[in-house]
Amino acid sequence: MQTSISTSAQRNGLAAFLKRNGSLIAIVLIMIALPFVVALLDGRPFSDVLANETGNAKFVQGLMIEIFILAIYAISYDLILGITGLLSFGHAMFFAVGAYGTGIMLKNLEWGILPTLGGIFVLGVLQALLFAVVLPRVKGITFALVTLGLASVFQIVVQSNEVGEYTGADVGLQGVIPPDFLNTSTERFHLYLIGLALTVVIYLVYRRFVDSPTGRVCVAIRENEDRALMLGYNTFYFKLAALIVSSITAALAGTLHTLHQPIVSPNVASLSYTVLALLIILIGGMGTLSGAMIGAAVFRLLEYFLDKQFSENASFILGLIYVLLVMFVPYGIVGTWQVKRLQIQQGRARLYEALGLRKKPN
Amino acid sequence: MGNLLEIRDIHTFIGQFHILQGVTVEVPEGSIVALLGRNGAGKTTTLKSVLGLTPPRRGQVILDGQAIHGRRSFDIAAMGIGFVPEHRAIFRDLSVAENLKIAERKKGDFERKEEMIFGLFPDLKRLIKLPGTNLSGGQQQMLAVARALVPDNKLLLIDEPSEGLAPVIIEQMMVAIKKLSAESTVLLVEQNFIVASKLAERYVIIEEGKSVKQGLMADLVNDKETIHRYLGAA
Repeated sequence: MQTSISTSAQRNGLAAFLKRNGSLIAIVLIMIALPFVVALLDGRPFSDVLANETGNAKFVQGLMIEIFILAIYAISYDLILGITGLLSFGHAMFFAVGAYGTGIMLKNLEWGILPTLGGIFVLGVLQALLFAVVLPRVKGITFALVTLGLASVFQIVVQSNEVGEYTGADVGLQGVIPPDFLNTSTERFHLYLIGLALTVVIYLVYRRFVDSPTGRVCVAIRENEDRALMLGYNTFYFKLAALIVSSITAALAGTLHTLHQPIVSPNVASLSYTVLALLIILIGGMGTLSGAMIGAAVFRLLEYFLDKQFSENASFILGLIYVLLVMFVPYGIVGTWQVKRLQIQQGRARLYEALGLRKKPN
Repeated sequence: MGNLLEIRDIHTFIGQFHILQGVTVEVPEGSIVALLGRNGAGKTTTLKSVLGLTPPRRGQVILDGQAIHGRRSFDIAAMGIGFVPEHRAIFRDLSVAENLKIAERKKGDFERKEEMIFGLFPDLKRLIKLPGTNLSGGQQQMLAVARALVPDNKLLLIDEPSEGLAPVIIEQMMVAIKKLSAESTVLLVEQNFIVASKLAERYVIIEEGKSVKQGLMADLVNDKETIHRYLGAA
């Protein structure tokens, strides 16, 4: 009897999950099919995708992996800025530590991928603790400037000749050979599927985190930290939790970056790379999580197509589009959609009420 | 009955400004005490000093025989003090249910108090799933008070509960505060003297950061000169 009850509960749980995540599942299926569809449109057989043949299908997978990396990186920034309200100008360091750490562990220390992932996890926790040292003392813009200082020091260190043997100094880290099954040159479809799976899992974990009591307190801290304190919450621990989760996630994005790109440039530790995360969540919608995913796709695809069409003027047009987006879609794509959807629902309820078609919703 | 809260000659600075320059307040257990005074007199700062949000530099704050000055805000709150800040301080991005659940100090606090809270504020039950930002001013104030009722609090600090509310909502708020004073002691800041005089048994007048007069509300109501001098009301 117990078995039948638990089976039924599992079935109901699964049904609820499928219902709630219908769009996400559809997107994942489309993403899995995408390389095959591109191959088909190119007049190539499906086997080309699996055989890693050069062509548009392989190129599209590469472009999508870049989007996955940006999406994971941006969602990690959304957790601390959009959800918890911690303005950090040093977020690029979280990413860069993952990128350089992965390269050094694989290339110089000759670790396997699993120990490397373990190392990245530890580094992610440590760098979050480093940022957390200043958390109780500074807030707002002062915290942002301190984190910028920490990231700048990191960038200076990786660019210095003293550690050039490991980091490649100004040139950047090169010559990292990933394990065969993660090699973007020879097994891109594997890396594509792993990148897709990682993005989806991280998104679901983040959504669960934000919906949890801890996540609700993080939202409360963003709105008004004093009010959260007055309810008896030691807000430091909640901000620390958000920083640790964000740091590990950004470092994982850095790992994926190193596996996919032939070179890790010191630019990934710069302020401009933090601004990139900010721009992506502004486009997608700050504090929405799914906005980071959509923002990353919009950002990278716009950049690609404008580069292709207007090579020299692309940056100017891109800048103009961002200004227009911020002016006319102030809550970002997802944020604006959520606001409009609520307005439409409320308008519809009022209309039904006025027409006497339905009771006032309880 | 003894005093649940004693504020003894506290001095509080905000930046370099000496805001409280000697405030003494006694709050007997089971009573409602109103802090009265003009705008900027230091009433809200007194409440925040009790909670450690603007910690006093000198003086003592004693809750139930224990000194709480110098402790951290979240520790003080966890000792059983609920705070309803001014300006309907709810979490606007959280739903009504989430606003109430977040105030739990022990798991199940909300479920235990649900009936009592919705008895006081039936509107909130209907609005339970709506985000705080969609509530009217009166509903937000009800939610702010309701949130302070979720955990078991010995003392409630309520700042300007009638501010900017329609008369009918003020009436509802007064009934609620009277009812909840049966379970908690209340220290109330209220600009509206009529509201304060109907609710509180005792008063403390704060003028330019100092407590200048205190006593029974019943006596103050008949003391037109004091009312005129310190509160500007006829």
